Amino acid sequence: MNTQLDLKELERKAFRATYQDGLWDLYFGLIVVCMSIFIYRPASGYSPLNIVLALCAFGVAYGLFWAGKKFITLPRMGQVQFGAKREMRKRTLIIVLSVVVAIQVVLVALQLVAWANPEVGARFSSLIRDRNVMDLVVASVGALIVGPSMILVAFFRDFPRGYFIAVMIALAVFLMIYLNRPVYPIIIGALIALPGLVLFVRFLRNYPLQREEAFHERE
Amino acid sequence: MNENEEKTGLGALGEIDRLVHEPARTAVMALLYVVESADFIFLMNQTGLTWGNLSAHISKLEAAGYLSVEKSFKGKRPNTTLRLTVQGRQAFRRYALQMKQAFRDFEA
Repeated sequence: MNTQLDLKELERKAFRATYQDGLWDLYFGLIVVCMSIFIYRPASGYSPLNIVLALCAFGVAYGLFWAGKKFITLPRMGQVQFGAKREMRKRTLIIVLSVVVAIQVVLVALQLVAWANPEVGARFSSLIRDRNVMDLVVASVGALIVGPSMILVAFFRDFPRGYFIAVMIALAVFLMIYLNRPVYPIIIGALIALPGLVLFVRFLRNYPLQREEAFHERE
Repeated sequence: MNENEEKTGLGALGEIDRLVHEPARTAVMALLYVVESADFIFLMNQTGLTWGNLSAHISKLEAAGYLSVEKSFKGKRPNTTLRLTVQGRQAFRRYALQMKQAFRDFEA
């Protein structure tokens, strides 16, 4: 028996216990569904309303996640603070994701430049003349940005189901851009959320609301 | 330590910290050893101990100076945060080493 290994396992189990509520799965599922509804390319073209509604929907999804953690999970499961190593991993993830977001911003900026300057846009599109091939390239780039980002989240946050979510999100983004039909990503969003829903129901059954007033008031 | 204990080496077992050497308290200390801090409910869920049981063990560990107990309110809800003291960390580390040493040749 190795004491160090056992303690590591104990810490890992305690850490992963915080994912038992299924809220992360529900949150990512909801994000994919919102993205599918509001960010796909409508026939009329993008409008600022699309972006505003998408941002509002993401905000609502995050609000639900936050409220679920605060009002459902924490009173039932309790609170825990992990050690310096976990904090370091969290900080590393923030730095890595910041780099990914910066790359995305550059790509979006290039796209905006192309829209604002038809000459530049024409130069871009002359590289790939076939519309289908262009869609395929854009869909692949989108999936290759979102998928690995989620894999990084799963790795640094020690979240095993995150790898499944990463594959599903990448597939959703690819299909959303390439086929431009929201129905497929909506189905994928539901597939991501479904295990979360099962876990959430199980969590509510396994973790009844606890009261600690008596211990708290004891002298 | 008497002469017989010295011959068999069993005297070392007598040095083991009995406060830590109780399954429920070992579980509580092991869990608090690997995290920074945890509240009462989290400990209860992770160790599977009942409210009364955990409360009694925490009191003993607190009295020995192994645990620090911080009582506060999160909104209107009372919250009890527990963490191992430096003394508690040392005691747990010492206990783990002593147990490891005591059964060093077990598999041989």
